[in-house]
Amino acid sequence: MGDKVDVWQGTLALMVLKTLQAMGPLHGYGIARRIEQISGDELSVNYGTLYPALLRLEQEGFVASSWGVSSNNRRARFYRLTRAGQRQVLRETGEWRKTTAILARFLEAGEGRS
Amino acid sequence: MRRLRAVFMRLAGSFGRSRRDRELAEELEAHIEMHVEDGMRSGLTEEDARRRAVARLGGVEPTRELWRDRRGFPWIQELRQDLRYAARTLRRSPGFTAVTVATLALGIGGATAIFTVVHGVLLSAPPFRDADRLVAVWEENAERPGHSNVVAPANFIRWGERQSVFSGMTALYDWRVSLTGRSQPVELVAQSVTSNFFTTLGVSPVLGRGFLPEEGPDGRDGFAVLGYGTWQRLFGADPSVVGRTIVLNGQPVVVIGVAPRDFGFFLKTGSLVGKPPDIWLPFSFSAKSREPRGRYMSAFARLRDGVTLAQARSRMRGVAASLTAELPRFDTGWTVRLIPIREEISGEMAPALRVLSGAVAFLLLIVCVNVANLLLARGMSRRHEMAIRTALGADRARVVRQLLTESLALAALGGAAGFALARAAVAVLVKISPVDPAALARVRLGAPVVAFSILVSVATAVVCGLAPAFEGSRGALADTLKAGLRAIGGNARARRLRQVLVVAEVALAAVLLVGAGLMLRSLGRITRVDPGFDPRGILTGRVTLHGKQYNEDERALAFFRNAVERARSIPGVRAAGVVSFLPFAGMGAATDFTIVGEPAPGPGQEPTTDVRVCDDGYFQTMRIPLRKGRLFEDREMRVKSDVVVVSEAFARKFFPRGDAIGRRVKIDMSDEPSATEIVGIVGDVHHDGLIAEARPIAYWPHPQLVYSAMTLTVRTDGDPARLAGDLERAVQSADKDQPVSEIRSMEQWIATSLARSRFSSTLLAVFAALALLLAAVGIYGVMSYVVGQRRSEIGIRLALGATEESVLRMVVAGGARLVLTGVLIGIPAAVLLSRFLAALLYETSSTDPATIAAVAGALGGVAVAASWVPAWRASRVAPVEALRGS
Repeated sequence: MGDKVDVWQGTLALMVLKTLQAMGPLHGYGIARRIEQISGDELSVNYGTLYPALLRLEQEGFVASSWGVSSNNRRARFYRLTRAGQRQVLRETGEWRKTTAILARFLEAGEGRS
Repeated sequence: MRRLRAVFMRLAGSFGRSRRDRELAEELEAHIEMHVEDGMRSGLTEEDARRRAVARLGGVEPTRELWRDRRGFPWIQELRQDLRYAARTLRRSPGFTAVTVATLALGIGGATAIFTVVHGVLLSAPPFRDADRLVAVWEENAERPGHSNVVAPANFIRWGERQSVFSGMTALYDWRVSLTGRSQPVELVAQSVTSNFFTTLGVSPVLGRGFLPEEGPDGRDGFAVLGYGTWQRLFGADPSVVGRTIVLNGQPVVVIGVAPRDFGFFLKTGSLVGKPPDIWLPFSFSAKSREPRGRYMSAFARLRDGVTLAQARSRMRGVAASLTAELPRFDTGWTVRLIPIREEISGEMAPALRVLSGAVAFLLLIVCVNVANLLLARGMSRRHEMAIRTALGADRARVVRQLLTESLALAALGGAAGFALARAAVAVLVKISPVDPAALARVRLGAPVVAFSILVSVATAVVCGLAPAFEGSRGALADTLKAGLRAIGGNARARRLRQVLVVAEVALAAVLLVGAGLMLRSLGRITRVDPGFDPRGILTGRVTLHGKQYNEDERALAFFRNAVERARSIPGVRAAGVVSFLPFAGMGAATDFTIVGEPAPGPGQEPTTDVRVCDDGYFQTMRIPLRKGRLFEDREMRVKSDVVVVSEAFARKFFPRGDAIGRRVKIDMSDEPSATEIVGIVGDVHHDGLIAEARPIAYWPHPQLVYSAMTLTVRTDGDPARLAGDLERAVQSADKDQPVSEIRSMEQWIATSLARSRFSSTLLAVFAALALLLAAVGIYGVMSYVVGQRRSEIGIRLALGATEESVLRMVVAGGARLVLTGVLIGIPAAVLLSRFLAALLYETSSTDPATIAAVAGALGGVAVAASWVPAWRASRVAPVEALRGS
């Protein structure tokens, strides 16, 4: 597991949590589609990487899962946010905002000097 | 917190296949189906939609693999895989596995057993509060530096008044009492202790209480604390015993407490009885105790907080000097000796245990070398397998890890078997161990021992497995595959490595053999020492008179004369006698004396002698030879006649001009000693053991000093043990209520005194024998392997006309060369290390040339024997077959 995956996993985890917060309980395929829709074509990764990320969130206790029935009557596993997950979304969102703001300022300053 | 939770979840996920694993398949299937439906809805064919869905997922199998890596810890799964694989390969070669596991079990088991004893005796704390602050307090005479001497009450009392380094001091002496008022009288060993005994040691009775201060100095006795074992054995562990009155030596005594189970406070040094106590009685000093008289007590003290042992030693020496000034006649040449209680308890066993620890470490090393050798051989035959695994993508680290896992599995099996072996071995060790029960009370297989054996097993696995693992995983892949099973370059290196291992093994075995050889030689020398009497055919039994009827000396004298007479009339008995202190059976009395007609010696310069009281029959029974003069006459054994018989050492030391006979000596065994005339000189007797010096002894006939406890001795031509019942009956025909204790043959007493030397030399010999066996196995293995490697070469030699004999000689010479190298390294190492044995050796140099020659010879013999079979097999190689084999 290289750094690249870790970074990706960090962002992916936040996307998953945010999706579940917005949409309520959802199955893996639904989460994948939702992330794709929102990010457009710019984020194109294998859906498969979603499942280890979900497992990790479950191991950490931020999401819980159970079997349910999808809109087209198919048995699927549904993931939902736990209360710890809710708190985590708030925390992570705040941190990301801070990070991106700093990074943005940094990049602008760099451009100005060149 | 979250991370910890995830770690636990993953740990749990590493074991067993959960429902969740199976459900993932279903979840992924649902995922793909939904994706396919969406695709078809946007106009794709089902086939296209499915292909796209799978591709977008990144493949079903890779996804599952990614998921599984997150489910548990990959390394645990890898380890499980390696373990499963190891189990399978080990099962497939049961011979190799059995030999390796047995070898490991020997090493790990031996190390664990010795560690158990070392831990119990040397490492764990004695069962007293702050045991490291407790010291034994002895006196020490300038003439015998380093020797712990029992303490005089007069000095103990004065130390207590003048010292400032102890928060408490307690003194005790032991004696025998008889417990009556029951169906059978029982003899118990009592320790009479000062009333602060239990509080000073920091021990609380499990039942009742210890002694109160007023039960000491003021002389209010009549109280007792029972030993735990006594309480169990004689009082059926009845808690209501506290407060009950028992009868000791005819006096009523109230039981006030029961001591804890593991509190068997006993040191052989300073004990008159030589056995652990059954009961404690309060002891009080009287005004007379201040008078400087004999030394007979043991003393213990607790260091005051903040006082170091060194400070206490120097301050107490100062106190002793002030006593010498006050009591010059009694204390000149005497000082105080402080020994930490822990050292005192383990002291007897410590040097032997240190040597045995070293020996078992060597044995463990040999085991490691041997197992490494076996693993190397196995690695050679598995090169092909490893090459294929590498070709299939396993990197070298992975292969090393797998091979190490295999040795770990072997070590785990060996460790488990070794632990079982250690359990049995410890039971035997405790049984045959010659030391005080107090020292062995804490020898048990507890958690530290389990931890130790696991540690040793893992260390062994790594030590044995590392070199073979690297060797086995090494090498140019293509070469190995191309060369088939006979990768020439790699094999040469592995063969060199194996030869080095055999050399190391032989060297290690040589060290152990030299050690064991020296110990056995020393033991042999000890057993050949003449004790000064002829122990064969002698039976002894101790009689302690109890009861008012023996308060008069006349009665006691008459009883012993009568008992000896009756013992002499037992059919088969050649001679019978009686003595106050039997040799090899504990301490004896010793005191100062003066020679009548010579100027009085300066203070501290008085000659001292052992004093025995006996009858004429004692010399005949023991066959102590008369050198000069005469023994006791009949009248002298009836009435006090002021005669004495002395030993040769006595005559030689105090009458160097040979004029002892007819001289008179005043021996200070009473307040007003009368002068006794030397009438005879007898041969020397070693009282404290075969290797103890023969001290001067003065023998008085019994009327001179009446003891109520004497030991009967009888001599027979046959096996003395058969007379045990007769001896008891003879005594009881003189007094039917009189028990006889410690009925043992003289040879048994001597064997007991040798137990310590025998214990360490036997164990060392066992280790050395195992080392020799393992070395033989190692040599055999390597020579077989070498012969196997050189089959075609040997075939060619034979085809070209070499004789079978020359082939035989060539192979045996190869083995001998390895052993010779090992011996040349091992012997100097042994000579260096055997210095540590010196303390355990008797009249044997630690570089004894005969022992070293014998060891070299034994190893040479083993080398030839172990190479012979492979050599013989090589000489039988049919040339054609050998050539075809290549």
